[in-house]
Amino acid sequence: MLQVEALHKSYGNHVILEDITFTLEKGDIVGLVGENGAGKSTLLHILATLQKPSKGKLTLNGMTYHWKSLSHIRRQIGFVPQEIAIWDHLTVEENMVFFEKLSWKNKSKEELQNLCLDMKLNRWKEPVHTLSGGMKRKLNLAISLIHEPKLLLLDEPTVGIDLKSKQEIASYLKDLATKRGVAMIYISHDMNEIMNLCDQVFCIGDDSFYDRLLTQAGQEVIRL
Amino acid sequence: MINIIQTRLIQWKKHSLQLLFWLLFPIVVTWIVVTVGNTFQDDMKIPIGIVLQDDTILAKDLYESIHATPFIRTYTLDEREALHKLEKHELDSVFVIQEGYEEHIRQGSRNALITAYESDVSLAYTPVSEMIMSYVQQDAGRSKAAYAVKELAEQLHVHFDWNWDDLIVRSKEIEKKQDLLQTRLTFPGNGIVHRDEGKNLFQPWHIWALAAFLSTLLLFDWVIKENNPAILKRFVFTNVSPKSYFVRNMYVYIALFFTIDLLTAFAFKYIFDEPLSLTLIVSILGYHLMISLGAFLLALMIRKTFVYYAIAFILTFISVIVSGAIIPLDGLLGRYPWLHFLNPLAAFLDGDFFHIGLGVFIVILLLWYGRKEEYHAAS
Ligand SMILES: Nc1ncnc2c1ncn2[C@@H]1O[C@H](COP(=O)(O)OP(=O)(O)OP(=O)(O)O)[C@@H](O)[C@H]1O
Ligand SMILES: [Mg+2]
Repeated sequence: MLQVEALHKSYGNHVILEDITFTLEKGDIVGLVGENGAGKSTLLHILATLQKPSKGKLTLNGMTYHWKSLSHIRRQIGFVPQEIAIWDHLTVEENMVFFEKLSWKNKSKEELQNLCLDMKLNRWKEPVHTLSGGMKRKLNLAISLIHEPKLLLLDEPTVGIDLKSKQEIASYLKDLATKRGVAMIYISHDMNEIMNLCDQVFCIGDDSFYDRLLTQAGQEVIRL
Repeated sequence: MINIIQTRLIQWKKHSLQLLFWLLFPIVVTWIVVTVGNTFQDDMKIPIGIVLQDDTILAKDLYESIHATPFIRTYTLDEREALHKLEKHELDSVFVIQEGYEEHIRQGSRNALITAYESDVSLAYTPVSEMIMSYVQQDAGRSKAAYAVKELAEQLHVHFDWNWDDLIVRSKEIEKKQDLLQTRLTFPGNGIVHRDEGKNLFQPWHIWALAAFLSTLLLFDWVIKENNPAILKRFVFTNVSPKSYFVRNMYVYIALFFTIDLLTAFAFKYIFDEPLSLTLIVSILGYHLMISLGAFLLALMIRKTFVYYAIAFILTFISVIVSGAIIPLDGLLGRYPWLHFLNPLAAFLDGDFFHIGLGVFIVILLLWYGRKEEYHAAS
């Protein structure tokens, strides 16, 4: 469903991504690893139409990335930012309703609440600033799913949260992939998490540290 | 648009009291200031000492003009007493209309007509002296004109019963008639502030304009609070782009202001007996539109709310001064016309719909909106 061909990205003379080519099929969960500054977030931003590639061709479900098709492409993408991007002063409910109102898909309050409950986020009426880091991360993910995207791009969605919450999120994502065929690219520095969740792992950057680590642990790694 | 209103309501619910307070702030402040101002009318005026040494009609007229100026309370004293009171700071400043004032004016000499004294705590010295100078200028101009008429008559060999006093009196009469005519013709458009009408010490719409200036700026702090780069990325994956989220919310705010403004116009008619007209309403809306756009653009440039609040208060303070709310600036405006452009209230108080600022803000807004979004994909 997603084809990336010969993707390049550079800032001035600083080459970040070079000749990246891969494809992703329905229901695939792909891990993306690499050292800090390797360009993981940059790649995800390009796939999410938040940044322009310097060169290369991208296609999502037959639509080429081009400003004319941008809004159609964006409807199919869910993006979970590396930062927690929610209104701190609003409750979980208000955050969900806020983004539902602006979303392409209309959802009832009950549907929104179920979406949260599915990933064990049950503090529906509480203001976000009183929630734990894990709860905030779950909400950060839930909001990105309101419009039922086909391609989910996650930038370190579980950073800094406990194992239990990580596992709750992981099992939710696995369900999403198998039951609804959502394809995912998942950035993380946690190799256990990657190995538990992902069918394939892409590695970017010059350093082969993660590469070796994962291969030793029996995980197949594709260098991009 | 309905979805934007729904999201706005979610945000408003969190600080509904604050919102209500600032929305009602202009009308409440106006009511308080005007009421208090009228109650303590005399105490609030600036005390000025006038020493009248010239016992002529022209000098007395000058004294009358100063005396009739709102915001000023005149005390007629002899020079020694006046200076004594000035020293004790009982007077803000002292102006001596020198012996021979009329004589000097007749001779076209402008030296030593008035002697002015200020103390180290004189607040109103500059504007008041500028104002008095403008009155003197008027007298001098009139006198010059009288002589010009005489000369002309002589040149044309017209028999002319020359009388300086008559000409001056006549000139003043004509002026008064013209004033009358003008106020009739331009009422109520130009009548938003009736300086000559001594009903209220503070003009309600003038106070309202200043209070609305502050409250509008403060109410636009949502632009800073919601200008969160991480959250804005989310808008890319919704129906509403980050920029249109801001612009549409601005529309919601402006619509809200307009509603309150209409209510205010009706309220002022009943409370202060201010004339209500379509022209007035259009001026109010034009003015509020301008400050809303200005506040919106300013807030877009600022990241920290406290910086924004500080700027809001400073700008309001400047507006209070340059709009002449505390001390009339008519004299200073004559000398420094650019002060008029600094005054965001100028067009509104003059009864015009359009301030240059409105045009500038609309152009900037269009340029900002037209510039492509930072978030852009392959093209
Ligand atoms: N706007 C920009 N201008 C110039 N260089 C940039 C810009 N944005 C990112 N970079 C550079 O691109 C490189 C890749 O950044 P990126 O955020 O994609 O790394 P990352 O793999 O996500 O790192 P981390 O693991 O720390 O999140 C970095 O060296 C960064 O300095
Ligand atoms: Mg990153």
